[in-house]
Amino acid sequence: MIEKQLSYYINKATELDGQTFEKKIRVALLGSFTLNGLAEILQVKCAEKKIQCITYVGGYNQYNQEILDQDSNLYKFLPDISFLLIDSRTILGEIFHHPYSLSTEDRKRFIDKKIEEIQKLIEVFGKKTNSKLVITNFNIPTFSPYGIFETKTDYGLRRMINELNNKLSELAFTLDSVFVYDFNNFVIKHGEKNVFDYNQFLFGDIKVSLDHIPYLAHDLLSYVIGQLGISKKCIVIDLDNTLWGGIVGEDGFNGIKLGPEPPGNAYVEFQRVLLSLYQRGIILAINSKNNYEDAIKVIKEHPYMVLREEHFACLKINWNDKVSNMQEIANELNIGLDSIVFIDDDPVNREYMKVSLSPVLTLDLPQDPSQYASAIKNMNEFSVLNITTEDSKRGKMYTEQRKRNELEKSTPDLESFLKQLNLKILIKNANEFTIPRISQLTLKTNQFNLTTKRYQETDIKKFSQDQQYLVGCAQVEDRFGDNGITGVFIVRKENAKEWFIDTFLLSCRIMGREVEKGIFGHILNKAKANGVERIKAQFIPSQKNKPIEDFLPNCGFKKEGDYWVYSIKSQFVIPNCLTVRAE
Amino acid sequence: MSKRLYDLISRVMNVPASSINDDEGPESIESWSSFKGYVLLYELETEFKVKFTIDEAMDVKKVADIKRHLSNHGVILND
Repeated sequence: MIEKQLSYYINKATELDGQTFEKKIRVALLGSFTLNGLAEILQVKCAEKKIQCITYVGGYNQYNQEILDQDSNLYKFLPDISFLLIDSRTILGEIFHHPYSLSTEDRKRFIDKKIEEIQKLIEVFGKKTNSKLVITNFNIPTFSPYGIFETKTDYGLRRMINELNNKLSELAFTLDSVFVYDFNNFVIKHGEKNVFDYNQFLFGDIKVSLDHIPYLAHDLLSYVIGQLGISKKCIVIDLDNTLWGGIVGEDGFNGIKLGPEPPGNAYVEFQRVLLSLYQRGIILAINSKNNYEDAIKVIKEHPYMVLREEHFACLKINWNDKVSNMQEIANELNIGLDSIVFIDDDPVNREYMKVSLSPVLTLDLPQDPSQYASAIKNMNEFSVLNITTEDSKRGKMYTEQRKRNELEKSTPDLESFLKQLNLKILIKNANEFTIPRISQLTLKTNQFNLTTKRYQETDIKKFSQDQQYLVGCAQVEDRFGDNGITGVFIVRKENAKEWFIDTFLLSCRIMGREVEKGIFGHILNKAKANGVERIKAQFIPSQKNKPIEDFLPNCGFKKEGDYWVYSIKSQFVIPNCLTVRAE
Repeated sequence: MSKRLYDLISRVMNVPASSINDDEGPESIESWSSFKGYVLLYELETEFKVKFTIDEAMDVKKVADIKRHLSNHGVILND
């Protein structure tokens, strides 16, 4: 990945007025060194994703004051995400240059003191704002005054910084809103000689060289993607010259390039990266112009295939148009086109996809297959702030979904299909295990979402601790497997007689199976048990939530002005194809 | 070659290339902030494959200074 030059971003940032955006984020940048240019790059990179990024850049090396002063401009800005970039030189001060002016014990005490200072900043920050806090860890310099003896030195300079980084990670691990950006890893990836330029540092206190600021911004953008819940869910991939070398229809099963020797090992390496993404929950699908029999034989039987049929949620291997195939994949998987990344070696196919289906992110795959793995690894579009159990099971769940679809096609009507599915809904309360997933679903669900209200984990935690709220989720299981937590409801108890449905949503993967009626039946039973007479709700239309449009009237709600009201006296029956149980 | 230099300054400072001449500098071009000055030097280094010394970097007060330092690094700018 080659980044554009800094001047491009700085000038482009001045042209963003008047552009239309779909999302908005407020980003604060605090640091111990010159951060010029970073805000502009983030604004431009966000705008490319139709995100309006409003930035606040703290004063030069004023991060302590900004965080500790409750009236500071930082808090007035009300950030969604705050990045705190502190470099090793600043945190260590004179000790960065003269670590061995201190005894081993004093060096240990020094690091403990520094971590206490950071901990205090984090605590104060957490009390004053709901913003996520991303702190950079500290780069370990290659130079040591002890030279080659450094690695044999007890608690030497590198060990000191390592210890500081470990303690920082431990600190962040326990706090939902605090994240550590691995700046040390950034320096390792790009090289100390490239990231740190003495000329720029001494001349302008520039501690990340001007050509590397765009790469840093690229990494920081991952947190914006995670915060806004717009990460990609699915990779749709071509086969010939993409997943293996050559054309199976021409070169034959034994003639394709795939195996331990070059160039076949490039494709094996690429498949390994794809498998690692599948294992963390990215859905894989195939979109290939090929004879089905030729291609499926390779997928099922080739000794060096890493990805097998069970890893693909959808296989479109035919001679149809790739754009039509893509639309069918999105429909069958019930995901938006904007959740999909398309990978194809053929530039013509890529251009056709870009022009025809612009919401799909079409990856500009390098010509050289040895670079395929890197191209995927450099993407920040899969970034999430939390990986739940449901996420890691997602690939498997979608394969189960493919089997469900096959059953649906072979059954005469929806009712008998649903009966055969043997659907079981388990209603769970919001607790430390379910809150991350509940928040994630509110952030990511677009289609079957009544109000499209987005809530961070801290919001859900507050609701769950508030007696005025009823927060729950639904785990849905059927004969093919566990769909995981795929439904969420947040009900506000307005008064003794009336409840209000603040949020009601279902993941797209379980839509069309009457699960919503099972969940509503549960809310209704709770309401009845509490003597409630009316349940009020609002449908807030968005560009994507048409699938939930009829949910309220279908359950017996009646329109009253801008709201929908359900009278407890109405008749509502949970469909008999569902079993609903509360934890 | 001067055109190549003026085009680069124009792009970095976001001003028309026609407004650049050897006497222009931070005093006369409003967008030429100290930070943009660093950006300009870095992009000159990339474009002309040279590395300025810190003395040269600090010495740049106008376009003519850039030309002089580029020339010291063997970059010939024909008008």
